[in-house]
Amino acid sequence: MTARRLDKGGRIDRSHSLKFSWDGRKIRGHAGDTLASALLANNEQILGRSFKYHRPRGIMSAGVEESGAIVTVGEGARRDANVKATTQELFDGLVATGQNAWPNVRHDAGAVSNLFSRFLVAGFYYKTFMGLPPFEWGEGTGWWMRYEKIIRRAAGMGTASREPDPDNYEHAHAFCDVLVVGAGPAGLNAALTAARAGLDVVLVEQDFEAGGDYLNQASDGSRLSELLSDLETAGVRLMTRTTAFGLYDHGTAGLLERVTNHLANPSQHMPRQRFWTLRAKQTILATGALERHVVFGNNDRPGVMTAAAARTYLNRFGVLPGEKIVISTNNDSAYIVAVDLAGSGAAVHLLDARSDIHADLAATLKGSDVHLTSGAAALNVRGNKGVSGLETALSSGMGWRQGGIEDCDLVLVSGGWSPVVNLASHRGAKPVWDGNNCCFLPGQTSEPVHMAGAAAGIWQTTACEVSGKAAGAAAANALGKSVATISMSGSAGWAHPISALYEVTVPGKKLKSFVDPQHDVTADDVRLAHREGMVSVEHLKRYTTLGMATDQGKMGNVIGMALMADALGKDISEVGTTTFRPPYTPVSLGALTGRNSGEHFRALRRTPMDRWNRDHEATMTDAGLWHRPWYFARPGETIKEAYIRETTTVRNSVGLCDVTSLGKIAVQGPDATEFLNRIYTNPFAKLAIGKARYGIMLRDDGMVMDDGTTWRLSETNYFMTTTTAHAAKVMVWLEELLHLRWPDLKVHVTSVSEQWAGCAVAGPKSRDVLAACVEDADLVSNDSLPFMGVVEARLKNGVPCRIARISFSGEMASEVYVPSDYAPAMMDLLWKAAEVLDGCLYGMEALGALRIEKGHVTGVELDGRVTIEDAGLGKMASNKKDYIGNVLRQRPDMMREDRARLVGIFPKDRSQTFNAGTILCKSDEVSGHGEGWITGVTYSPTFGHWIGIGFINGGHNAWQDKSVTVADPVRRENVDVEIVSPHMYDPDGGRHLG
Amino acid sequence: MWKLSRRICMTRMEDAILAETTMPRASALEGHTKPGHYGAGDQTGIIFEECQNLVLFQIAAWPDSLSRVSTLAAEIAGAAEAPGPGKAIVGDKATLLRIEPLKFWLLGTAASDLRAEEGATLDLSHSRTHLKVSGPHAATLLNRFLPLDFREAAFPTGSVASTAFHHVVITLWRSGAGYELFLPRGFALSLWELLREGAAQFGYDIVATESEHE
Repeated sequence: MTARRLDKGGRIDRSHSLKFSWDGRKIRGHAGDTLASALLANNEQILGRSFKYHRPRGIMSAGVEESGAIVTVGEGARRDANVKATTQELFDGLVATGQNAWPNVRHDAGAVSNLFSRFLVAGFYYKTFMGLPPFEWGEGTGWWMRYEKIIRRAAGMGTASREPDPDNYEHAHAFCDVLVVGAGPAGLNAALTAARAGLDVVLVEQDFEAGGDYLNQASDGSRLSELLSDLETAGVRLMTRTTAFGLYDHGTAGLLERVTNHLANPSQHMPRQRFWTLRAKQTILATGALERHVVFGNNDRPGVMTAAAARTYLNRFGVLPGEKIVISTNNDSAYIVAVDLAGSGAAVHLLDARSDIHADLAATLKGSDVHLTSGAAALNVRGNKGVSGLETALSSGMGWRQGGIEDCDLVLVSGGWSPVVNLASHRGAKPVWDGNNCCFLPGQTSEPVHMAGAAAGIWQTTACEVSGKAAGAAAANALGKSVATISMSGSAGWAHPISALYEVTVPGKKLKSFVDPQHDVTADDVRLAHREGMVSVEHLKRYTTLGMATDQGKMGNVIGMALMADALGKDISEVGTTTFRPPYTPVSLGALTGRNSGEHFRALRRTPMDRWNRDHEATMTDAGLWHRPWYFARPGETIKEAYIRETTTVRNSVGLCDVTSLGKIAVQGPDATEFLNRIYTNPFAKLAIGKARYGIMLRDDGMVMDDGTTWRLSETNYFMTTTTAHAAKVMVWLEELLHLRWPDLKVHVTSVSEQWAGCAVAGPKSRDVLAACVEDADLVSNDSLPFMGVVEARLKNGVPCRIARISFSGEMASEVYVPSDYAPAMMDLLWKAAEVLDGCLYGMEALGALRIEKGHVTGVELDGRVTIEDAGLGKMASNKKDYIGNVLRQRPDMMREDRARLVGIFPKDRSQTFNAGTILCKSDEVSGHGEGWITGVTYSPTFGHWIGIGFINGGHNAWQDKSVTVADPVRRENVDVEIVSPHMYDPDGGRHLG
Repeated sequence: MWKLSRRICMTRMEDAILAETTMPRASALEGHTKPGHYGAGDQTGIIFEECQNLVLFQIAAWPDSLSRVSTLAAEIAGAAEAPGPGKAIVGDKATLLRIEPLKFWLLGTAASDLRAEEGATLDLSHSRTHLKVSGPHAATLLNRFLPLDFREAAFPTGSVASTAFHHVVITLWRSGAGYELFLPRGFALSLWELLREGAAQFGYDIVATESEHE
């Protein structure tokens, strides 16, 4: 192949030269080039190495179906592997390298595998190395696991960068009346028709230039310019460099916009790519068709490409891809290619597999120097790293016989066209085989999706234009506009019948013929699969990996199916096709992620005293979406020293803890009391105003859903708290109950989690702190504010607050709530009072230690498998009223005494520790799932040793004087423990009662 | 009806105790809204303004009291009528947003308690961060995060919607001044950071924050 840039022609900007590098060498192209066209203009032939055999590969197409020119673009953190050079827009400074080769794609040591290719057939590695004798004698995969790593290293594609992606990506949403996918002759006309009917139209085009097949034609481009100008006038939103990669429910399309991939120095503020979710009322798919190749010997050599690709390089990029060209076709579309190439000075020999060429068709070659041979096809390419000649085959009865040898440097192939039915297939429209056109056509769909142009099997440009207008009119009329219906006139398919041609072989000749060049699947692999019992296309795909490469079968699927059908003696329509799934072309993980990365991976929730906490040396940790203080270390303190100090301080003096993350729900209305009485297991009907009550709510199935306190503020107003973990779930549950089950109840629930900031003041001196901080100290006396009492008060700084005397720590404690914006002011005040009492700030670690000592449950224990009895709270289940979960909680299995019950755990040897998440086993039977599990552990300053909380079958009474072992087989040694009551600290509650 | 509205007028000052303290309120965005121009070049595609000291009350009705409470809500806001679902009306005294079929948000003034049989009011002034997004690319920016159809016919001025911003439920009102976002306070800073990242490509201004209506 000797490709060269012509002196004139093409749509490139010859005044704008671009420097880029290929495998370390600096070369030049022009604005308007793709990387492939620029490389071709520089006569670069070998651009890649194949997946398995490391065969040299060059440019095979001019689009997304490319299977040869697959390269790596960019360097360092911006290295992007497996980029199709045919779709990469050239820019100044672009760095591209070959991949899957050493030392480079032109001289690749890995090519030695090609010598053994006759052995390396489909399934070779599995058959050879799995259960390898004499090591495994047909069983097991132990040795395979070792080989696999080495084998996988030899095969493959490019290597992704392991550095963090320095670019940013974003998501976007858009809406329109009509989405048109593909800006070719059909799509442009469809968009224009719909827009002129007064509709809001979005037209997306994966290329960097709109025009589709217009761009490939040897015309002055005036028709295209006119259409684009009309589209602009009609207000069509044209999105180039944007791929509609998937079609989803209700007219939703997924689009990937390459925003800065083509720019040499993009602004740091611009995203590299944008991931669009577009919702359209009507969708028109004018996605075109892809030219197929034909399977023949060495059909993967650099210098073998599709016929249409050569026309694209010639007419769009001004590159003549060869001097002596043989075109092998089975259809009419290659004729214009031959004429265009011959007109540019190439010697062109056109082989048409059809024996009878219609005079009209032959006449299209008149005036050109194209040499036409009918009843002939390409058989075997000569040359190792390129094309040095072509052995031809001549029609012989139903088959082929060896013909002569053509001296050539470029072989072009046209095996027919495959409409891009992928997006319709995403919607479940199964493609239908059309024997006349030798292709799959889009199946019927009841959705508002219209097919137009080549995507619908319409080949001629003028017919595609009409088809686009018809689809535009149909979409407009479906949206209530009155547009004259346009009907397709004349034949939509071929003017002269295509001949079914998928493979060229002659008896007795061994050929290396590729069906799916990207995954190195050969025609022999397909036949082997059949011999080994694969009967369906789905088997074929999985056994040979046909169609599983980055082109997802665009190049080889139809041929593979044709060969399988032939082997089975069936028609292609009987063999069927695999279902196309999104994405149509690869979508980067960065685009899928958008801005939801790093700190924004999930929405981060901060409490109103977030800054105050951090200003006071809090080390923060994640608690669900919340950032909460973990511990407040003093200089030199470790986390362990800090939380032990904090826990001890709360037990002995007083501590302050940010508890804002608890869920808070306003329950309002005349039926609020009745509502609460129905959702909590314990009675709420007689809760006095100014009192709080601890409550448990169950799910319908009787399992515990959540716990918390609810405060009665007035006759009809309550303030409910939930656990941090279940706040959203409880809110949704209450709304569901009110909307669906009890719409007659006059109750409104509103989340006020964000309205109120909360601080726990815990410890024997907690009342002193409160008294120092409220305007009226009498309000917080033991009489005014007894255990479970609630008062509304004002802090000394004028801030209104609600105080409830509740305790999670087991000490005398209160929770103080203020409107969120006053949180720092509240903390300043409380801390000033606590500090003089040698108080402390404490975080989640100390909070955990305190509650484990006390045996209080959290969301960790209430994991959805726990009954109220399991949690040790059975006394809170009322027998005098009905409530959600009451019936099913009494199922026999739920009431079994030997269910896993909440317990405390002490190490037998008090110096030992154990982990949360471990299994509790009988000491003489450490196996299986054991008898229970541990949910939380801590060092207990109160006891001076490690303690835990968890569940064990039968509860602690069943395990008195029995040996229990904590089994931790993955992480560490087992530890012998004793099971104790979960109420390890102050079981009588004397301390919190004060 | 007269009785009900009179009660609200009489008790408003007593019940709106939360708005009365002189203690300055700390915004969730404190320290993150320094006025100035940011992002690309000199152009200003987006203007951000945090409306501090939000005064926001919820007024909820029962199905059988909706029409009475609607009239009342309109009266408090100084509007001729209450807005329909998904709409807002700016009155002489305050603004009403219809956020649910039975719920209004009263923006800019306090609402006192209703009799329980009529409905329920609730102070939500500290629960949201009120952010105004305007400028020629405001809708484009918001569509980088929100799946709302902002085209004129679908979302004209005066429209209200609950929507999801990075999985967080927010309320959005298209006022005459731009798009007014009510972000749950705890998520506000995180969402604000995202908005700023997304806005950089358009160039944006943060303008000095102003106090809420009252």
